[in-house]
Amino acid sequence: MSGSILQVHHLSKTFPNGVQALRDVSFEVMPGEFLVIIGLSGSGKSTLLRCLNRLQEPSSGQVFYQGQNIADLKSVSDIRRLRKKMGMIFQHFNLIARQNVLKNVMMGNLASKSGWQSVLGIFSEQEKQKALECLQLVGIADKAYLRADQLSGGQKQRVAIARALMQGPQILLADEPVSSLDPATCQVVMNYLKKINQELGITVIANLHFLSLVRQYATRVIALQEGQIVFSGSPQQIDQEWFEKIYGAGAADVS
Amino acid sequence: MYRKLVFDGVLFSFILSVFVFSTILRMDEDSMNLTLLSIVTVSLFLVGMGSSYFLSRRRILTLGGVLFEPNSTASGVWYKSLWAWQLVLALLVAFVMAFVKTGFSFIELFDENGFAGAMRLFQGIADPNWNILPKAVYNIIETVFMAFLATALAIPPAFVLSFFCAQNIMKSPGARLIYIFLRTGLNITRSIEALIWAIIFSVWVGIGPFAGMLALMIHSIASLAKQFSEMVEASEEGPVEAITSTGASKLQIVWYAIVPQVLLPYISFIVYRWDINVRMATVIGLVGGGGIGTMLVQYQGQAMWREVGCIIAVIAVVVWALDQASAHIRDALK
Repeated sequence: MSGSILQVHHLSKTFPNGVQALRDVSFEVMPGEFLVIIGLSGSGKSTLLRCLNRLQEPSSGQVFYQGQNIADLKSVSDIRRLRKKMGMIFQHFNLIARQNVLKNVMMGNLASKSGWQSVLGIFSEQEKQKALECLQLVGIADKAYLRADQLSGGQKQRVAIARALMQGPQILLADEPVSSLDPATCQVVMNYLKKINQELGITVIANLHFLSLVRQYATRVIALQEGQIVFSGSPQQIDQEWFEKIYGAGAADVS
Repeated sequence: MYRKLVFDGVLFSFILSVFVFSTILRMDEDSMNLTLLSIVTVSLFLVGMGSSYFLSRRRILTLGGVLFEPNSTASGVWYKSLWAWQLVLALLVAFVMAFVKTGFSFIELFDENGFAGAMRLFQGIADPNWNILPKAVYNIIETVFMAFLATALAIPPAFVLSFFCAQNIMKSPGARLIYIFLRTGLNITRSIEALIWAIIFSVWVGIGPFAGMLALMIHSIASLAKQFSEMVEASEEGPVEAITSTGASKLQIVWYAIVPQVLLPYISFIVYRWDINVRMATVIGLVGGGGIGTMLVQYQGQAMWREVGCIIAVIAVVVWALDQASAHIRDALK
């Protein structure tokens, strides 16, 4: 228990349409870990990440973060404070297409801004500098003044990482960060995630599909099947037998 | 299921009440007995609903079933099926009623006197009196600016309302209530034609362009708010999720994740609305909304067709020009 940054206890999530996405999920995350969650599509991976920053409302269970049960936060400002400490990146990058890259990154800081400042679009010189630093960390500062929709997929995901870094997060949630990228670009993006994990000490919790990537980057793996944890351990422990258990008999590792 | 029953009931009571009231219980404008009419119609409606239910129990397909039950397929030859005869009969009754009610008459259409009058009118219009051109141009300028101001003043309220009328933003139960309230209000406002608003405002602020402008503005707010809110509802969920995950407030989420997505369609709708408003402004002038329409109704009342011809020519040129301009601008905005 001691020393962990996040503790999930008996977390369950049932959607209003009756689909049970998570069943009694419990695990802990240590600071600085690169935790990877694997499982088939629909196994509850995305829902699990979204329950951690309250993009989804957990149905039952507790999530302890900094000694606080965040599954139980009621006030909007408390939830917003929580989200600020957890950056998130997405499969489809979710940048604002018509804005330039720098503006997209500065949006990571919206939680610290007043309503009027943000409606008028006023960003300070410090914010601009910080955004440029974040872009530098992912090696894309030269694209700062291009429109976001002019970038390639890999570049967009790096901008999304910079936006998350702008928040100054302790934890980065990555929901299938490389699923819509080609294999070469995949490695680039994963290397940047590894870099911010190791150099900035940001804990990463990522959903991934390819086992080769899992073995290469994860420090620990959790496997979900129909909303339940069926495996928890080091990536090296996942042999053919486990693989078939997680992905179903007859499945083959394609990468 | 209930839609099917209601539809069949309405169809049944429509056909039979037309028969009843044109044969046994004839009424005219003065002997109209609303109580009797509603009793007969409602009871026929209930009988119709009942028989529709009975027929569906016997697995006989009715027109309501064809329309509203997705998994029912019409099979067999059409003239052997009940629903086809329902359709034919209903359309037949509707056409007969419509011809009788509108007093459709070929005799009047080709009556010699009336036809000569129409010819005089067309001759006048075809040979416009260009002496009143300056006055017509002066008035159409008034109309164009009336439409411009109505559109411009409608933008801010419609912009704000559009977010409160979008289902994907108004999710919590309290917000839901505001959403339903606003949506209903806008639907009612929109269902009242600009022409009626012009009548209201011409009593309120007096006949003239100001009344016409207010009428167009009210109608524009309701129409734009509806079109805008549909754009908000069609906006991508991804950016919203991303901005939410940074810890942004509701206002910031709307401003940074949704507004950039809807801005171009909004401008396109606004340009189109201005175009529509210019056309509507000429019609609104007819009931005292000022501008070229008021001028038109004055000359028309005196049967001065050559002057009317000049006004129509001016309207046609301006409407055509604005229509072209708005089409080009909207095309460029895509």
